Formats: sequence, structure tokens, C-alpha cells
Amino acid sequence: MQRRRFIQSMAALAAAGALPFNLTQAFAAVSVDDLPKLKGELTLYLGRGEGGLYENVLKAIEERNPEFKLRIRRGPTASLANAILAEAKAGVKRADLFWAVDSGAIGMVTSAGLAQPLPSDLTGQLHENFQFPNWTPVTGRIRTIPFNTDRLKAEDIPDDIMALADSDFTIGWAPAYAAFQSFVTAMRILKGDVVTTDWLRGVNARAKKFAGELGVVMAVERGEVDLGLANHYYSLRLKSGKPDARVDLAFTRNDAGCLVNASGILALSEGELSVNFIRYLLSKEVQTYLAEQAYEIPLVDGVKAPEGLPNLELISPPDVDLTKLADLRPTIDLMRNVGIL
Amino acid sequence: MISKWISRQHLIGMLGAVALFTAQAAFANGPIGEHVNHLSDNIDDYTQEVKWLNTEVEAMITRYQQGGVKEANPELLVENWEAVKFHSAIETNYVPVYASIWQGLFGVKGALEEQASIEEIRKQQQFLAESLWQALGAVKLAAQYQDKGLTEHVTTTVENPSNSLEALDAIDNRLNRVVAKYAEKLPKEAVTIVHDTYLNLFEGVEGELIALDANLVEDLEKDFNVTLPQAIQNGGTVDEVRQVVNTMLGKLDTAYALLEKSAEARKDVF
Repeated sequence: MQRRRFIQSMAALAAAGALPFNLTQAFAAVSVDDLPKLKGELTLYLGRGEGGLYENVLKAIEERNPEFKLRIRRGPTASLANAILAEAKAGVKRADLFWAVDSGAIGMVTSAGLAQPLPSDLTGQLHENFQFPNWTPVTGRIRTIPFNTDRLKAEDIPDDIMALADSDFTIGWAPAYAAFQSFVTAMRILKGDVVTTDWLRGVNARAKKFAGELGVVMAVERGEVDLGLANHYYSLRLKSGKPDARVDLAFTRNDAGCLVNASGILALSEGELSVNFIRYLLSKEVQTYLAEQAYEIPLVDGVKAPEGLPNLELISPPDVDLTKLADLRPTIDLMRNVGIL
Repeated sequence: MISKWISRQHLIGMLGAVALFTAQAAFANGPIGEHVNHLSDNIDDYTQEVKWLNTEVEAMITRYQQGGVKEANPELLVENWEAVKFHSAIETNYVPVYASIWQGLFGVKGALEEQASIEEIRKQQQFLAESLWQALGAVKLAAQYQDKGLTEHVTTTVENPSNSLEALDAIDNRLNRVVAKYAEKLPKEAVTIVHDTYLNLFEGVEGELIALDANLVEDLEKDFNVTLPQAIQNGGTVDEVRQVVNTMLGKLDTAYALLEKSAEARKDVF
């Protein structure tokens, strides 16, 4: 089993310029004070997520722009993506914007050719690896390995996600969860179906299944399992409500185990209004709000990452085209074949 | 009795009552009619239907005493209930007592089919009659709020909650519906509602809630994933399942208060 010295080794790699993926370079975030006023009406399809925090952002944008009216249709992200595709097929366009909680759903819409191109001064505000011609990530989330601190130390956790399959750890996971399936999709893209199948089989032998990833983190904290597979913010939230929680985060290196996925937005209709609306989501104020309140990772420069995460310079996520995570069907088939779904 | 129901809910007073009578038509057990948006105009019909249902139950018990189970034909109880407009009037307005009606219907049906003593059959009949009259009272109260424009129009689709507080209200409604489905002798559907409620609603709330009270989230996680499904699958009484749900509703009240306080204290976006 590979062992590692957690932060120290990451720092060394960063210093050596060996990180495969750059999370640290972007233009400085723009303040809302410097953004144009919004005038007119837009319809936004809003994927479910983060309780009412996205709603608070939208309400604040409307309040700041009295001549702007936003109509919102809410629903699960995948359902809304399917609705957009179905509407396009029927020759109907009801949505001007689509804000999705995962980039896979964005990929479904962009690959259908329905997203409008975005100006480079807008996409250029984001970190280099998050710049796309026809959609923009809003905030990020990292795959992590939450571990029970009574049982393990960070250096006990392998820095290679593939090594978990050969380890003796008991592992918590939530295979039905969309974020987990995106992670498996990333592993398929990086390692291929055969290796991914073997990994799933290996982990499944010692895995305990949970409905959601917060459940995974809570089971880790209780000591029901040694470690888990989950997005970063569940552990940060648990520690916020229970500061002495027996859980900490470890990160693998340059593999699907530390994939950075993102919520994202795209414009379905042409025109400045949609583009300017997106500018508000990338503003310093909105990015700060989502980092502080939702523990999401800001993707523009000059905004601090949520408290409790190591410096982003020390994280080395794999270089995966996020829109390719939309290709979920082979992942689900593979997971079913292995018997974990 | 109605005021007691209201006091159990999150919001106090008038606003609380309005929240109680928010329609959830997408879950209607069978088609709903436009009459549910004109309750006052239909109160006389509903009253007649309640009287008719009670008369039919009495006639069924008489037939049972004269000719046994076959003569009584207990299957008619459910058929009669599904045939009346009042069914959707209470279902779209107040699910807890809707669940009690199903409990009462199957109480009478079971007692007749098992050829229980006449005292037991009369006890079940009394429970059903009380539930029906309570339901009529609830619909009359809902009609008053509707007349004042304090309730939402009943539609065939339900808006997704836009924040955690709305999600908790929707969870309350669905948990009461779990009791109704269990009382309706549909345990698999009841468990499906529990799972769907957890995945589609509670999961969206617990991330925010855990930062406020981790132990409360842990308790509710167990309730959703273990305690309530097990209570249903173990085949306990309707009252036992209702007790589990009521305990969960109490915890959700606590969650509501915490999230409401947190929302008030939250910093502004701009």
C-alpha cells in the first residue's frame, strides 16, 4: 500500500511545479459595483442544490436590479437537462439560462449544441482549467477521503485512489449518488472500464453502502467505517456543527479520487442580458457568499476557499474535461454489472 | 381538535393554518376535481357524502349481523370512499386525518372479515365516524381560509421547494402521507415515499442543518433510513407507525426553528 505524508508531499510537488492541474491562476474577481445593471426578463432552469443558498443569490441579484425579472423553474438537475433537450426537440425554448449542480448535466446540453458561446472576457475570469467556450463553472467541489481520526492518521491513507481496492480499510460509499457516479465516470475516462471494474469489485468487498454522502461522512465519524468517499463540503459542514467530530480529510493525487467537479451555468438564448446575468454569479460577492455559506470552492481569483480546506495549491486534481462526465450510461451499466447498483 | 392539529405545526396562528392547508394535489389518490378549489360551494355535498358513508357502514354492519361476512360485502367500504368527492377534498387539505380515515376503513373491514365481536366492530365504526366528522371540520376550516384568499390554488403539479423551510413543510406533508398509505394497506408504497422524501427533500436540507445541530441530523438520518422503514416493514399497527412519524415531526419542528433562526442571521449576498 502506498503511504504518504499528506500535505508535505503535496507542497513539495507544488513547489516543483509538478501539479498536473492548475487551480491557482485566474483573473481577479469583479465586484458587482463594476457590473452593468440588468434590465429585462429571463427564465432560469435551476437544478436542486444547496438548500436556499442559490435562491438567496438570485433574490439578491433581482433586488439589486429592480428592472430585472427572473422566472425560475426548479427541479432535479438531470430532469431539467432532459426537459431542455426535449423542448429543443419539440422546437420550443422556455429557458434562457440553465444553472446545474453538476457539470455532467451541462455536458448533456452543450453536446446537443444548445448552449450559446460566451465572451472570452467572461470565461477568462475563471481558473485556466475551468474555461469553456459555451458554459462557465460557478463553484467547485473536490472528491475527498474523509477518515476517522481515532483510527487513522492522514499518512495512513494512500495517495492513489486505486490502492484503496487492495487495502484493509472498511469503506463507506454512496453508489446511487450523482457525485459518486461522476467520480466513477472520471475513473473510467482516466483508467478505462476494465481497471475501473476491478477497482469497484475490490472496494465493494469491504464497502458499506449509504444513501447519500453526508451519511457516509457521519458513518466515518461514528467509526462505523474507517474512511469514506465523499465531496469535501459534507465533512466541513459536519465539523462546523460538531467541532470535535472525529473526521478529517485526505486527498489522493492526480486521479479521480480528487476530481474537482463544478456547478455550472450556460445561456440558451442569445443576447447581453443572459451573459451579464452570468457575470453576477462570478462576482467577488457571490463567490464569497457561496464559499462562506455553502462551503463551495470559488473558481475566480481573490476569493478565499472555505475554511477547513487545505490551500488549493496543495491539491492536484486530474485533468478531466468536466463535460465528458455527462456520459453516465456506461458508468451505470458498469456499476450494475458489478452489482453495486 | 383542529386547533390542536394546528398547534403541532411549525407556524403559529393564521400563517400556520394557511401552511396547513397548502395543497399537494400531485399526490392525490386518484383524480381530483376542480371542486377542491371551491370548497365553500361544495360543503353541503361533502356533508351529505359523510352522512351517506356513515349510513352505508351502519347498513353493512346490519347485513353482517343478519347474514355474515359475504352478505356484508366489506369491499364496498373502500369503493364507497373512493367514489366520493370528499375524498380529494380532505386529501388535498389535511393529510393526517385523511390517514385516520383509511385506518378507520380498514379497521371496520378487518373486523368484519375476521368476524370479530360486535363490540370490536362498533369500536372500529366509531373511530371511522369520528375521523370522517373531524375531516369535514378540517375541510370547513380550509374553506374559510380559501374564501379569504389565504390558500394556494390546487393544481395537478407541485412546485419544488425553493428553500429549506419550504422543504421541511413538504417533508411534513409526505410523512403524514406515509401514515395514510400504511393505513391504506400499501406498505411498499409507504416505504417508497419515505425513501423518496429522504433523497429528494431531506438530503437537500441536511447539509445546511448539520452545521447547526449534527446530532439532530444523525437522529433524523436514522429515522428516515432505519426506524420508519422498519416500523412499516415489521407490520406494526397504524398507531405505531404514526407514533414514529410524530416523533420525526417533532424533530423536524426543531430543525425548522434552527434553520429559520439561521436564515435570519445569515449575511446578505451583496
